[in-house]
Amino acid sequence: MNQRRLPPISGEWIDRSRPIQFTFEGTRFTGYAGDTIASALWASGQQILGRSFKYHRPRGILSLANHDVNSLMQSGQRLNVRADVTPLDDGMTLSAINTFGGVMGDRASAIELFSPFLPVGFYYKAFNSKRLFPMWERLIRNLTGLGQVDFSTPHIRTAKRYDFCDLLVVGAGVSGLSAALSVADLGADVVIVDENAKAGGSGHYQLGNEPFRVEKTNELLNAIENHPKIRLYTQTQASGYYADGWIPLLDHDRLTKMRAKAVIAANGAYEQPAVFRNNDLPGVILSSAVQRLIYRYAVKPMNRAVVLVANADGYRTVLDLISNGVTIAAVVDLRDSLNSDVARSLDQQNIPIFLGYCVYEARANPGRDGISAAVICPIDANGNPQTGFKQTIACDGIVMSVGWAPAANLLYQAGTKMRFDKGLQQFVPDQLPSGVFACGRVNGVFEFEQKLIDGRRSGLEAAAYLGLGERIQVTISPERESPSHPWAIVEHPKGKNFVDFDEDLQYKDFPNAVQEGFDNIELLKRYTTVGMGASQGKHSNMNALRILARITGKTPGEVGTTTSRPFFHPVPLSHLAGRGFTPERRTPLHSRHAALNAKFMLAGIWKRPEYYAQLGKTRDECIALEAQAVRHQVGIIDVGTLGKFEIRGADAAEFLERVYAGRYRNMKVGTTRYALMLDETGVTIDDGIIARLGAEQFYFTTTTSGATPIYRELSRLNTMWQLDCGIVNLTGARSAINLAGRYARDVLSKLTDLDLSSVAFPYLAVREARIQGISVVLMRVGFVGEWGYEIHVAAEYASALWDLLLKAGLEYDIRPFGVEAQRLLRLEKGHLIIGQDTDGLTTPLEAGLKWAVKMDKPFFIGQRSLQVLAKRPIKQTLIGFMLDPNFQGTPPQECHLMIARDQIVGRVTSVAFSPSLSRHIGLAYMRPELAEIGDPISIRLSDGTIVSAIITSTPFYDPDQLRQREDVTQREEVTV
Amino acid sequence: MMRRISPNHDRLQSLSGTWRDINGMPSLMSIPGDEQTAAHLGIADLSFLTRFGVKGAGAAAWLESRDLEVPDRPNTWRSLPDGGIIARLGLTEFLIEDSLHSSFALRLAEACQHVPDRVYPVLRQDAAIVLCGTAIPDLLQQTCSVHFQSFSLNDHPVILTLIVGVSVTIIPIAPDRYRIWCDGTFGAYLWETLATIVQELGGGVVGADRLI
Repeated sequence: MNQRRLPPISGEWIDRSRPIQFTFEGTRFTGYAGDTIASALWASGQQILGRSFKYHRPRGILSLANHDVNSLMQSGQRLNVRADVTPLDDGMTLSAINTFGGVMGDRASAIELFSPFLPVGFYYKAFNSKRLFPMWERLIRNLTGLGQVDFSTPHIRTAKRYDFCDLLVVGAGVSGLSAALSVADLGADVVIVDENAKAGGSGHYQLGNEPFRVEKTNELLNAIENHPKIRLYTQTQASGYYADGWIPLLDHDRLTKMRAKAVIAANGAYEQPAVFRNNDLPGVILSSAVQRLIYRYAVKPMNRAVVLVANADGYRTVLDLISNGVTIAAVVDLRDSLNSDVARSLDQQNIPIFLGYCVYEARANPGRDGISAAVICPIDANGNPQTGFKQTIACDGIVMSVGWAPAANLLYQAGTKMRFDKGLQQFVPDQLPSGVFACGRVNGVFEFEQKLIDGRRSGLEAAAYLGLGERIQVTISPERESPSHPWAIVEHPKGKNFVDFDEDLQYKDFPNAVQEGFDNIELLKRYTTVGMGASQGKHSNMNALRILARITGKTPGEVGTTTSRPFFHPVPLSHLAGRGFTPERRTPLHSRHAALNAKFMLAGIWKRPEYYAQLGKTRDECIALEAQAVRHQVGIIDVGTLGKFEIRGADAAEFLERVYAGRYRNMKVGTTRYALMLDETGVTIDDGIIARLGAEQFYFTTTTSGATPIYRELSRLNTMWQLDCGIVNLTGARSAINLAGRYARDVLSKLTDLDLSSVAFPYLAVREARIQGISVVLMRVGFVGEWGYEIHVAAEYASALWDLLLKAGLEYDIRPFGVEAQRLLRLEKGHLIIGQDTDGLTTPLEAGLKWAVKMDKPFFIGQRSLQVLAKRPIKQTLIGFMLDPNFQGTPPQECHLMIARDQIVGRVTSVAFSPSLSRHIGLAYMRPELAEIGDPISIRLSDGTIVSAIITSTPFYDPDQLRQREDVTQREEVTV
Repeated sequence: MMRRISPNHDRLQSLSGTWRDINGMPSLMSIPGDEQTAAHLGIADLSFLTRFGVKGAGAAAWLESRDLEVPDRPNTWRSLPDGGIIARLGLTEFLIEDSLHSSFALRLAEACQHVPDRVYPVLRQDAAIVLCGTAIPDLLQQTCSVHFQSFSLNDHPVILTLIVGVSVTIIPIAPDRYRIWCDGTFGAYLWETLATIVQELGGGVVGADRLI
């Protein structure tokens, strides 16, 4: 099957001792280790490797350089495998994508018959009609798409990696290697990356019968291999440039985030195709691809070639073809004179050379899997074909060597200003950003020796930038001939002269687009979709730009290029997604909850027990039972996620006075007080409890979600105000447990000597105590509406304390309760939750929290705004509501709207069924004029149904606070 | 009576190894075969060591008044006389961690019942980890964006950064030994994530015995 395999070639990449079997489209093939899929198929005579995106035309090898998007294949579960660069693997089962009935007999190729009805901007025109939109959408969705997703494909969590170096050299061609060595020799830590399987670049294949190129390249590689300061990563692509030398490197296994102090772009250039009729047929190949086929994979690209040239590279290719047994039927030079020595040497070998000619069209062979002839003709001074002088030359391959486009994507992304060099017919760097350097073809240097010198020049400049050695002036000789032709484009009345192979754009599409007004390169790109395919314009942007320039009478430099954004080459989603790092916090009691069958939920980044599952009971039943346990016996809940802080110092009280809306200076030691935090606009942003532990020492809590941002803000304010106090964040260091219910005191009294009587330890008091030897801070709180203690303890003792409390509570049927039961209990008590019953615009005036705001203080954050707001009528007020006890049906949910006279007059913020009250209760915002206690209200459900409710005062449960009293009650009033 | 529980306890308790009570905390001291693991890449829990934190403008002077030699530069550390570490976290915050043979942290905790102005004790309840082995760079390259090789260990650097998204304090004690501290409530996530990658890299959990 290896009918095109050449005899062994020095330096070939294939290992002939390791044949590899694989199938393509159901047919068995054999290649060698080291082959790519495309080289192995080409060696076996298989020339149709895929179908084009729009017209489903047969396509073969074009670049063999990672840009052949018409030969994307499916390999088992792997989608869009790039056949031109993907190494052959034993047992591969390959198929072409985007075909209907296989690559050889693709039925969708009939679309080409309708090409006159598929003008440029077809999508825009088709979708312009709303009526026809669904039809077009269905049709296009059915016809397009690359590959078949197998949803059973395992989820691969590709690891990411960070890496660092002094200098990153992108491209391991001769200029890149030369640059790397010159910097590493001065002591820098250098990394070279190259997307190819082996380093050396064109030094190993653009030979033109000049073996010194290989020898010199190998010399460089030997030096690199043995250099202690150089790391060489092959099959690795630098796929973008971000600020501060941040380069994502992509290899088969992962994405590496490389941070480089300096970067040398030695990316080279993309060879550009000529535009002529049928320039997409299998067998029409770029000259560098031909050379890669020969020298890397020992594959004879064709037997009889017509070579279209416009530079010295083309003539070197001719020499390489001849020396590897390919008959040269003709050399067709777009220029009208032989410019280089290598060209003149060919002239002496009786190779027919047609100067000032173009390839007018390629003719397909009968099987349409290759070509049978090239039609050539002279061109006039403007590049127009003189069709009266056509000649047909039989051949089975057409090689194109007409020019290059710099692989300058990274340079653009780094902020390089490029200029168009008319002599080179190429954009070259004009102003490079600091720390970024360029050499080789991307810098407009093409001749082998000059690339070596240019590499060294850029290396020394980079070294000087890194502080290694002096900046030395190195002179680069100008190119002897232009490597690129300004107009390798031939019009043809029958079209199919492709400019963009990804999107099947023909020459005529561009004048048509310009005629329709899209005469700017960015507009032209979007309208025609040139450069928007998978190869991202690497083979089409330059020709498109030249066409636009010619039509609009501008120079390519005046037309300019489109914006290059990272990534400039497609990146597997698995690499982008990679292994995710999403930190979560667990309280010290997590395993205790798990042992009690807790169902966890995320509260911010905390994992908290939502409820504790019980065998045979639903979620709602479990929650109700937990709530009832608190109401009738005793419950215990982990509230360790609350923000917990300590502030000490002579100005501690002053600091709290400024950041909270209440008054704390007059608090007695041993007391707690509700604390409300506002932002500068007077909006309620957090709340908690402040406990005074000493004259200059306070302990205070925040909401769970508020802990981190509030600590950050308090630290900022403390730095700004320079008060004599220090804040310590104890959120993670302390655990907190709330023991609540009728028997809470009984349980606790079994474990501590502290006097728990309401005289000695009244409601809203705080005490430092010991529970079975464990130091704790105890606060008498009533968030859930029962006699309760919030017990704060060092995190490492939390499990021991939890165990003690559960054991002591056994005789009282103690039951752990989760977040949902707590929400229900606090709702019964009418306590709001910041963030649920308030939003980003809610002031304390609207939320019924005016009592917690001390407006006569000299200053607190938000005070000034509240003073302004207080003069205006409020737009909403928080109310309680109840549904009828006999209500049956779907109850309202949070965010359902309150309706009056067909107008929205409010919204529900909390709602739940209260087991204690045997009815649904809730909180909602209402227009103040409609918020009369006892008035009926209407709530509209999601399905439009209206549910009636009654506005009710809060608390719903224990409005007289009887649960906090015993025979003798001493209540610590919060005065505001 | 063992009362203290490490933030990493739940991740370790299923491992069969030798446990010991250290400072009132059950601690995994050894696992069969962990000598080889430790040489390549190991992760161990040292949360049982006692720790003390203090911050504030007067913290350095207060510590010196307690006969402690404090690091003179921010983000550096020194050894305590009987082993252990005192690390300067920024300008005015310090972490003191005892070895098995010292008790500075406990003494300082007692002393801070009455501290001078501008000295603020910080309760430390860290998940304390040690990484060991020659493959530490491979692990850190996957988990942290800091270029550790750029630090000279002779400078005794203290690095405050993120590992797997978690805020941590890192001290490279030696090329093959890195100490890591984080908020204990992130300990489970940090441990599980690091241990998974450690395992992928051919390492594993090791006991604390050979690392203290």
